[in-house]
Amino acid sequence: MEAYLLNLVILISIYSILASTLNFIMGYAGIYSLAHAVFFGVGAYAGTYAAMHVNASIFISLPVAMVAGAVLSLILALPALRVRGEYFVAASLGLQVLAVTIFSEWKSVTGGIGGLVGIPPVNVAGLDIFKPGQFVFLTLAALVIVLIIINRLVHSSFGRSLRAIRDSESAAAAFGKNVPLIKTISVVISAALAAVAGVMYASYLSFINVESFKLDTSVLIMAMVIIGGTGTQAGPIVGAALLLLLPSLISYLDFLPQTEIGAIQQIIYGLGMALLMIYRPGGIIGRKKHSSAGKE
Amino acid sequence: MLALQLTITGLQTGALYALTAVGFSLIFGSTRIFHFAHGATFIIAAYLFYFMDISGYGLFLGIVAATAGAIAFGLLLNRFVYVPIQRDEGSFFTVFVASFGIGIVVENVVGMIFGRGFVTIQTPLSFSTEVMDGLFIAPLSWISILCAAAFFGILWCFLKFSHMGMSLRALADNPELVRVFGLNPRFISACAFTIGSILVVPAAIISGATSGLNPAMGHHVMLISLAATIVGGIGSVTGTLLAGLVLGLAESLALLYVDSQWTEAVTFAILFLFIMLRPSGLLGRSAAH
Repeated sequence: MEAYLLNLVILISIYSILASTLNFIMGYAGIYSLAHAVFFGVGAYAGTYAAMHVNASIFISLPVAMVAGAVLSLILALPALRVRGEYFVAASLGLQVLAVTIFSEWKSVTGGIGGLVGIPPVNVAGLDIFKPGQFVFLTLAALVIVLIIINRLVHSSFGRSLRAIRDSESAAAAFGKNVPLIKTISVVISAALAAVAGVMYASYLSFINVESFKLDTSVLIMAMVIIGGTGTQAGPIVGAALLLLLPSLISYLDFLPQTEIGAIQQIIYGLGMALLMIYRPGGIIGRKKHSSAGKE
Repeated sequence: MLALQLTITGLQTGALYALTAVGFSLIFGSTRIFHFAHGATFIIAAYLFYFMDISGYGLFLGIVAATAGAIAFGLLLNRFVYVPIQRDEGSFFTVFVASFGIGIVVENVVGMIFGRGFVTIQTPLSFSTEVMDGLFIAPLSWISILCAAAFFGILWCFLKFSHMGMSLRALADNPELVRVFGLNPRFISACAFTIGSILVVPAAIISGATSGLNPAMGHHVMLISLAATIVGGIGSVTGTLLAGLVLGLAESLALLYVDSQWTEAVTFAILFLFIMLRPSGLLGRSAAH
């Protein structure tokens, strides 16, 4: 039971990092990305590569992963600067599809479809952390640091510029804001922090393959943000916890077919997304009938 | 000879892409609803036909069931999801998320009923015969190209000459003016959904016989439809049609140079180039913003 709870807390923290970083570009900059799992994956693969070939120290793998995520996010920033809304959804969907192909084909780095096994435990200042009881503190610490960074950014002038861009890009530009630069920085920050979640995930499971970084994951992360509440700070965490608790809740309900837990989970959050948009577009945490995101 | 073979396969794929994409483009162009569940319409039509086929009801009843299912899904979604959302605010994002959620539900329900693996609609029409030396063509290739041509012919006449077709184009241009003229925008939207959903049916059925079906292919359908709509230019049915053909041809001809798992990457590369260099698309009028 204790191991089960620890596992759940670790996964919820990792997904909370992902959801919060996606919310940073979605809720505050109005960039609706269906490619967030790409940066999760890039972080996991880059961190693993560093850990297996250079050094398992967190002070090596984490920066490597963050830099890799940040550099690759420029590919996402490029279309985000030119277009928004439906165009960007299409571009990010394409990027996600392309990334899955690369993850499964670039065998020397990603291990192909089989993935990478035997990832060394993360090493913090000479101490190998692999027991769930210790690892949970590491992921919680990572989550808190990520949340603090995002919180500082959102409440700085940078965050105000972001919201201004979300609500009206031309107005922000007219006020002398450097719109392309601000958008690029927000995407880079979001991707670099999402890569942190990738490093945690890889060293926790000590095994990764492309299955964890597919479109389904991007959709799940987006659902967490939306169901929790776009543009709020607590929303993504509530969403992540809720959606990850869902499979275990379903398994308590005996009348549901247990082999279809994954499908039932997806049906529930799919319906949840549709119903929330009709009755409460702000999400669970968001204000009722108020569009905190998505003003064109 | 390989190039010719791939060109014909590409035209076949392109014709099916064009049918699906024009359905989406017509709905999006006239109603401005980002109908992401269009991929789900495809799945519903394809699996209904598959179900009728394996239960032995024959071709005709299969087509009727698939068409009825597609239309019903489109109309119900419009009535019970899009209309209520648009009554309040109807931003692009809220509509997209709701539509996306419904798409997830459909994918999983179909997956629970029919399984997650690939299924194929069996028909002798998909067996290739050697037409020329080294050139293999299945009857389905001609059927898909002719089918697409016929549907587009009818659609063109409909949009050009019929009263409802003109109203659809008017709605795309200026919804306020349509209201001032005493036409009912909601009724016109429902028509757009009906036509857009019908256009998916032939593509869904033929794809089921040529490349097979699986419940998760809605995302692929959506990527193609979005790519064709954007590359063709939002609001331009002809542009979408051309773009669908181009994407099909490009995917197929790319096989001369790369392995088959990279075909989606080709679609993405074309889409990306257009977004970066020409966001208004081949025949589009307005810019992206």
